Amino acid sequence: MIGLNHYILVSAALFSLGLICVLIRKNAVNVLMGVELILNAANINLVAFSRFSAANLNGQLFAIFVIVIAAAEAAVALAIVLSMYRLLKSVNLDRADILKG
Amino acid sequence: MENSLTIQILFYSFALITVASACLVVFARSLIYSAFGLLFAFFGVAALYVLLGADFLAATQMIIYVGGILVLLLFGVMLTHKLYDMKLTSELFQFWPAAILMLGLFATIATALLKTHWFRGKIEAPEPTTAAIGNLFLGEYILPFEIASIFLLIALIGAAMIIRRKPE
Amino acid sequence: MNSQLSQDLAHFFPELAVSVAFLLVIIADISFPREMGKRISFTVTLLGLIASFILVVPLFGVSAQSMFFGMIALDRLAVFFKCFVILTSVLVLLAAPGSKELSRHHLGEFYVLLLGATLGMMLLVSATDLLMLFLSLEMVSLSCYIMVGYLRNDRQSNEASLKYLLFGAVSTGCMLYGITLLYGITGTTGMAGIRDFISAGGFPGDNSMILLVSTVLVLAGFGFKTAAVPFHFWCPDAYEGAPTPVTAFLSIAPKAAGFGSLIRLFQTSLTTSPGNTSPLAAVDATHWPQLLLLLSISTMTFGNIAALRQDNMKRLLAYSSIAHAGYILMGAVVAGSLGTQSVLVYMITYLFMNLGAFLIVIEVFNGTGSFSLRDYGGFFRRAPFLAITMTIFMLSLMGIPPFAGFFGKFYVFAAAVKSNLAWFAVIGALNSVISVYYYARVIKTMIIDVNQDAGTLKASKIGQVMIWLMLLPTAALALFWTPIHKITASSVQIFLGN
Repeated sequence: MIGLNHYILVSAALFSLGLICVLIRKNAVNVLMGVELILNAANINLVAFSRFSAANLNGQLFAIFVIVIAAAEAAVALAIVLSMYRLLKSVNLDRADILKG
Repeated sequence: MENSLTIQILFYSFALITVASACLVVFARSLIYSAFGLLFAFFGVAALYVLLGADFLAATQMIIYVGGILVLLLFGVMLTHKLYDMKLTSELFQFWPAAILMLGLFATIATALLKTHWFRGKIEAPEPTTAAIGNLFLGEYILPFEIASIFLLIALIGAAMIIRRKPE
Repeated sequence: MNSQLSQDLAHFFPELAVSVAFLLVIIADISFPREMGKRISFTVTLLGLIASFILVVPLFGVSAQSMFFGMIALDRLAVFFKCFVILTSVLVLLAAPGSKELSRHHLGEFYVLLLGATLGMMLLVSATDLLMLFLSLEMVSLSCYIMVGYLRNDRQSNEASLKYLLFGAVSTGCMLYGITLLYGITGTTGMAGIRDFISAGGFPGDNSMILLVSTVLVLAGFGFKTAAVPFHFWCPDAYEGAPTPVTAFLSIAPKAAGFGSLIRLFQTSLTTSPGNTSPLAAVDATHWPQLLLLLSISTMTFGNIAALRQDNMKRLLAYSSIAHAGYILMGAVVAGSLGTQSVLVYMITYLFMNLGAFLIVIEVFNGTGSFSLRDYGGFFRRAPFLAITMTIFMLSLMGIPPFAGFFGKFYVFAAAVKSNLAWFAVIGALNSVISVYYYARVIKTMIIDVNQDAGTLKASKIGQVMIWLMLLPTAALALFWTPIHKITASSVQIFLGN
C-alpha cells in the first residue's frame, strides 16, 4: 500500500541528491540542475502532504508557485552564466576566483 | 484504490526512474547526460504528481519544467562550451566520498521523517483539481497570484538586461 | 468578501504606489528618448517611493489586522519596517546616479529593480503565510541578484552575482524544504495556524526531531538573507563585486527585511505563549532561541575577526555589516517587546551610519577610482570634509557614545542583560572591542598617514548634501532620543491572531 512515507522518502532522496550535486559539481549549469532537484523534492513533499496529510489544496497551490519561482530563477541564473561565459570563456566555478571567498 | 497492485508497480517504477535519473544528474561525467537525467527526473516527478491526484500540477510541471526550464538549461549547456570541445564534460569531485555523503544525508533525513507523526486531516478520494485551483487563485490566493506576475516581470527584465549585448 | 477586499486594498496603497511606479518606469524607459528618459525614470521612481512613504505613515494608527485572507498582516511592526525599507530605497536612489560605477550604464532597469526589491521587502515584513513569505523572499533576492550583476562587462560584478545567486538559490531551496515539513506537521501554511496547532498539543507523538530539522532548514534561508555565519559566504564577494550603491542597499534593506520576517515568524508561529511580553515561551523542540544564540555569537565573532585583515574598503564594510547582523541577532534572541525594540533601534542607527560610510566610499571612488584602504591615506589634508565625516561614521560603528551606534548597542546589550543573558552581552561587548581595531585603522589611515603624491579630493555637491543628511542623525541622535524610543516601543506590536 503506497502511503505518505513512500513519497516523502523519494523526496528526501531527491533533496540529498540535489544538495550533493550543488556541493561537488564545478560547472555552473550543473549546480543549477542541483538546485532544480532540491526544488522538485520540496514540491513532491508539498503535494504528498496535500494529498495524505493536510487534505486541502494549499500544498498544490504552493507547489505551483514554487514552479513559477524556479522558472524565474533559472532564467536569471542562465542569463548570468551566459554573461560569465562571454567574459571568461568558461563556466567552471573554479575559474571564478577574482573575488577571494 | 491505493492498494491495487497496478498502483504499486507504477509508483515503484516512476520512483525508480526519478531517483535513478537524479543520480545520473549528480554523478554523470558528461553534461549532456546530466541534462537528460534531469529531463527524466522531471518526467518521473510529473508521473508521481498524477499518482497523487494532482492532475493540473502534473501538466504544469511538464509544460514549465520540461518545456521551459529544461530547454533553457540545455541552451545553457550548449552555449557555454567552445565549439571545438565536443566532450562537454563536467569535472567531478571524487565519486565515493560524494556517494557516501549523500547516503548519510539521506539516512539522517529519512529517520527524522519516518519517526514523525504527520498531521491527519479528513482524507478524501482525489478529484480533478483544476477548477478548485482556479477558484483558489482568484479567491484566497489572490495576493500571491498578483505578486507572482510582478515577480515574473522583474525576472524578465533582469534576465534580458544582463544578457543584452549593446552595440557600443 | 468584497467589502473585506476593498478594505484590504485601502490599506494596501503603499504597495500599490510602488507597483504603479514600477510599471510607469518600465513604460517611461521605453517611450522617451535617452536623456529625457533618464530624468523621467528617476523622477517617477522617486515620486513613487515618496508617495508610498506618505501613504504608509498613517497606517501606524490602524488597528492590527490580517489582510488578503491571512496572507499578510498590518501591524505596527510591519509599518515600521516598511517605512525603514522605503527610506533606504529613497536614499540609495538619490546616491545611485552620482556614483561613477553606475553612471555610465543605463539606469532605467536599475530603478525598476530597486522598486521591485522594495515591493518585495514590504511584503516580506508583513507576510503571515509561509507561501507569501517564500514568494516575497525570492522576489527580494532575485532583484538583488540582478542588481549585483548590473555592471555587465565587469568580471567582478558578474562573478559576484553568480556566487550570490547560486548560494541564495540553495539556501532558499533548503528553507523551502523546511517549510514543507512544517506544512506536513500542521496541515496549514499560515503562521497563526501553525502556532494554534502546535500550542494546542496537536500531535499524538513526539515530533521534536522533525521540528528541530525544519527549524534549522528555515534558519538556513534567514541566515542567508541576513548574512549570518555560516550562511555568509556570498556576502564579501557580492559586496565587493557589486556597484557600491547596490552594496549599500544590500547591507541595509534586505537584511532589515530578513530580520523583520524572522522576528515575525518565530514570535508568531513557534511560540507557545504568543504575546509581546517576556519571557517568551518558545516551542521547546524547535530550540530556536538557542539556535539564534549560536548564530549570533558565531556571526559577531567571525565578522569582527575577518574584518581585521581587510584592505579593501568594501570588503571591510562587508565583514563589518556581518558583525552588526550578529549584534542585531542578539536582540532577536531575547525576543519579546524588549528584544524586538532593541532590534528596531539598532536598525535605525545602523541605517544612518552604514549608509554614510558607503556614501563616502562612493565619493572616494569617484575621485580616485580605488577602494583600497591605502588610497584613503592623508585625507586630513586632501579631503578634510570626507576625513572628518568618515571618522564620525567609524566612531559610530564602533559604538562610541554619544554617536548613534552606541545607542543601538546599548539597547541590544541591555535587552540581553535584562533577560538573564548577561554573559551574552559580555561576548557582544568583547566583540565591540575587537571591532575598534579595524575601524580605528581606517581613521588612522585617513588622519595620521601622510600621502604626498596624491591630489586633493572633493565630494560632489549632491554627495555632500547626502553625507550631511546621514551625518546629522548619526552625530546628533542623542538629542532626539525620546521620540525614537517612543516610536520603537510602540512598534513592537505583532499581529498574532487569524
